[in-house]
Amino acid sequence: MLAIQTIADGLVLGGLYALSAVGFSLIFGVMGVVNLSHGALVMIGAYLAWFVWHSLGVDPLLAIPVVMGVLAVFGYVYQRVLIQLAVDRSSHVASMLVTFGVALMLRNTLVLVFSPDLRSITPSYSGHPLVLGSIVLDPVRLAALAASLVLLGALAMILQRSKMGRVIRATAQQELAARLCGVNAHHIYGLTFAVSAAFAGAAGAILGIVLPFSPPDEGLWTLNAFVVVVLGGVGSPAGALVGGLVLGVMSTGTSQLIGAAFPNAMMFAVLVLMLLVRPSGLLGNAFAGSR
Amino acid sequence: MTISRRTMVKMAGGVALAAPAIRGASAQATKTITFGGSVPLSGGGAETGLNVNNGYATAVKFINEMGGVEIAGTKYKLELKLFDDASDPSRAVTLIQRQIDDGVDFYLGSFGSNIVLPTAAITERAEKPMVQAGGGSDQIFVQGYKYMFGFFPRATRQFLSTAAFIKTLAPPVQNYSVIYTNDAFSKTAATGVMNAMKAQGIPMLDSYAFPETITDASSVLAAIRAKTPEALICMTHDQDNLLLAKQMIATGTNVNLLFQGLGPQLGSFRDTLGKAANGIYFQTYWDERAPLKDRFFGTSAAFAAYYKKNYTRPLAYHVSAGAACIVTYLEAMMAAKSIDPAKVRDALANIDIETQYSRIKFTEQGDGDPVVMGPWVGQVVGGAPEVVSPANAKTAAYTYPTPPWAQRT
Amino acid sequence: MSIVLLIVAAAVPFMVMPFYVRVGQLILLSAALGLAWTLLGGFAGYWSFGHAAFIGLGAFSAGLFETELMKGQPLLGFGLGLIVGGVVCALAAAVVAWPILRLRGIYFAVAMLGVSQVLAELTNNVDVFKGSMGLVLPRIAAFGLRPEALFYDVLLIATVVVGCIAFAIKNGRIGAGLMAIREDEDTARMLGVPTERYKIMMFILSAALTGALGVIYAHSLGYITTSSVYRTEFSLNMIVYNLLGGMGTLVGPFLGSAVMVILTQVVLGRLLSIHMFITGALLVLLVLAAPKGIIGLFKGGLFGGRAKG
Repeated sequence: MLAIQTIADGLVLGGLYALSAVGFSLIFGVMGVVNLSHGALVMIGAYLAWFVWHSLGVDPLLAIPVVMGVLAVFGYVYQRVLIQLAVDRSSHVASMLVTFGVALMLRNTLVLVFSPDLRSITPSYSGHPLVLGSIVLDPVRLAALAASLVLLGALAMILQRSKMGRVIRATAQQELAARLCGVNAHHIYGLTFAVSAAFAGAAGAILGIVLPFSPPDEGLWTLNAFVVVVLGGVGSPAGALVGGLVLGVMSTGTSQLIGAAFPNAMMFAVLVLMLLVRPSGLLGNAFAGSR
Repeated sequence: MTISRRTMVKMAGGVALAAPAIRGASAQATKTITFGGSVPLSGGGAETGLNVNNGYATAVKFINEMGGVEIAGTKYKLELKLFDDASDPSRAVTLIQRQIDDGVDFYLGSFGSNIVLPTAAITERAEKPMVQAGGGSDQIFVQGYKYMFGFFPRATRQFLSTAAFIKTLAPPVQNYSVIYTNDAFSKTAATGVMNAMKAQGIPMLDSYAFPETITDASSVLAAIRAKTPEALICMTHDQDNLLLAKQMIATGTNVNLLFQGLGPQLGSFRDTLGKAANGIYFQTYWDERAPLKDRFFGTSAAFAAYYKKNYTRPLAYHVSAGAACIVTYLEAMMAAKSIDPAKVRDALANIDIETQYSRIKFTEQGDGDPVVMGPWVGQVVGGAPEVVSPANAKTAAYTYPTPPWAQRT
Repeated sequence: MSIVLLIVAAAVPFMVMPFYVRVGQLILLSAALGLAWTLLGGFAGYWSFGHAAFIGLGAFSAGLFETELMKGQPLLGFGLGLIVGGVVCALAAAVVAWPILRLRGIYFAVAMLGVSQVLAELTNNVDVFKGSMGLVLPRIAAFGLRPEALFYDVLLIATVVVGCIAFAIKNGRIGAGLMAIREDEDTARMLGVPTERYKIMMFILSAALTGALGVIYAHSLGYITTSSVYRTEFSLNMIVYNLLGGMGTLVGPFLGSAVMVILTQVVLGRLLSIHMFITGALLVLLVLAAPKGIIGLFKGGLFGGRAKG
């Protein structure tokens, strides 16, 4: 019975991991940029959701569109102003340092604006455990999982079906060819970053109802994104979902079988092994053309 | 050899590089006592760091508004010169050295033994006292340092009074489990829990170690539901404690007694849990209603009132402790009738005074005396933190066994 | 000229206030770490995001060795500890070298990040390694020097040694091979460069040197826990120093670390709340303003702004 409980807990946790990593995965896949400020974007989402909830009493899940909107604008500007400049003037790896610098700035700003204090959001539906036979589930975490799945599904639809999605994928595979077809590649990169930041923000809003958070947590969410992407495969919502769920179950399973102190060690050990055995991740690279 | 190097240092005083070092010396002319040291304001311990920092600042502001302090016939103003160590030990040691070079004589401490110990090695060598309200792990106090004083009793002694309290509960607590974080402080604190409970004859069911950061405690809670202890003692960080409590509520994991060392003292913690917070036990060192006298602030309540006039940030015991660090220094200087670091150190070693925070008395090794500076047992009652033991500091009656989460009012 | 520089550097502890000796100590440590990193990262283009793994592994293996086996002999213990730290790191690197060096680019970088996180978590959570409780290292003293002067001198020697090794490699046959790997590994292999062997050799050497530097760093603190040595900031900073100074050059790590250390410790050291923001902003500006590093600015000026992709 404990085994089923552990798997259920792991899947619920995995949804959050998946959503928090999908944006990171997208810009890595499309632009080849490693965004070390990804976790900071997630934290901004969490703080925005907290602010809306705290001052207006709006449920964080309902505030997600607003949070996504704000972060999309931020992401677009961030890419067009800083990242593109760094990539043009120097290299992709140098752009990584830029994102590291921005992460420091954002973290410091969050401390200054929201104080270093612990924050947490308590939605109205929290506190009533859902009992299914011998399995006990947290309704807040279930809501978080559901919201994550809906958002990941929506992103998959956007990338597959919409015009913007097609252009993003085309640019990722063959930037030159896309340009020749009249695509403004810089604008598309900006949009990709906007989408990535928006989903990071949404993940932040959701994690706010699940976990207490404080500004230094940004490093944790950047690291988690790395692991999820390597596990699942780069660039696709499906890859992030698989990576996230595997990571979640692995995490609770390790905690149960080996000891509560070891999920992080296990997570990174699997990261290394996975890289050695199958560097393209369980689902492969969604934009194989670009590698 | 040493003398020649000192001479060289003096000769190099004119070199541009060493110029900033002279500034400290010229400031002495205005009769100012400067307190140096670091606080973590951007790393993991930032929340507590800000509280202690506000405590220091409150005391310095209050005493300067009083017109300063008179020591051996001379009036002094106080000055605070703190830097952010960002929880990075190499940054902390480099910058503490700068203050030593600047001629700062008195130090306030940071958090975490990996910061406190390397910095204390430097202040110790320079023979400058350090009074801190942040480092409590045992290693800090077994190095034989003479100039380092900590307000909190070493971690292994912090649970003695709580274990004695638990022993008095009826019906008797049959067993307990403990959760701790794998860092020096929490781990020694957990050892303290095990020793103290053993001494009271209460057997342990299980112990669980957490890594430094966790995002989920569901599997530990599942294990606890499968093998439920009567008392659950959490020696984890405040962030982990809140996560644990949230997940316990959400999964209906109930124990008769939930003790969380850090967390329930904070307003944000209690607000998050709402009425479910009622009944959680915690460790506290201070309450603004405590009947304590203070030479400068008057009483604990007067200190609290002054703080609230100047800050909107909620009071926490670390604020009071921070302010008391400064007061303790001043009392020691008055007793020594001097601001010579070595004499102040001797006065600190023998100090026995009352402040708005608590009576202050250090052990031979420099940590807080476990009897007079040890923690009280607190419990959240009606959404507010109350002291439930010992009898002389008690502000409310305790509830035991605590009702299940869903039935709390 | 380098001899003059060396004499000036050796005289520093006798001429300035101890704070500046500690700043110098930090610059030397950072520069030496940057050089050790660049043997593989700068020369061969294999960027490791996880070299803090070797700082931590070196520090803890030497620390455990000294506290368990070398009680009462601090100086000998420290000397042997340097070797133990270096050798343990070399062995660890040798174990992972072959599989991990088949990865390229960002995948190698991330794998190294993973290695360092695994080691950090194990050090912290497996009790025998004492990572969570921390290790108090034996205090070493020699020649009547104050601790900061002693460690400054030790680090100066270490930096010179690492610098000489890096110089010899860069200008030797291996160096040429490594550059070929950096430019185009497959072509290099076709042309007969023993790419696999060179990469593995550099990885092991880089790890051993980083490990020994970790031992010195640990002793300069006197007490370490997992979080004092396994710092992701260390790994990132090694890259920052090189990028800032000039990637693949020998002077680069010195320039980069001098700029960063003076900036964060001296210029921004007194700030209580916004130093991190300013550091981040300056990092961004520096990358944008000097994409080829500080040395690139000079070269650009000298050779008339030669642009190279």
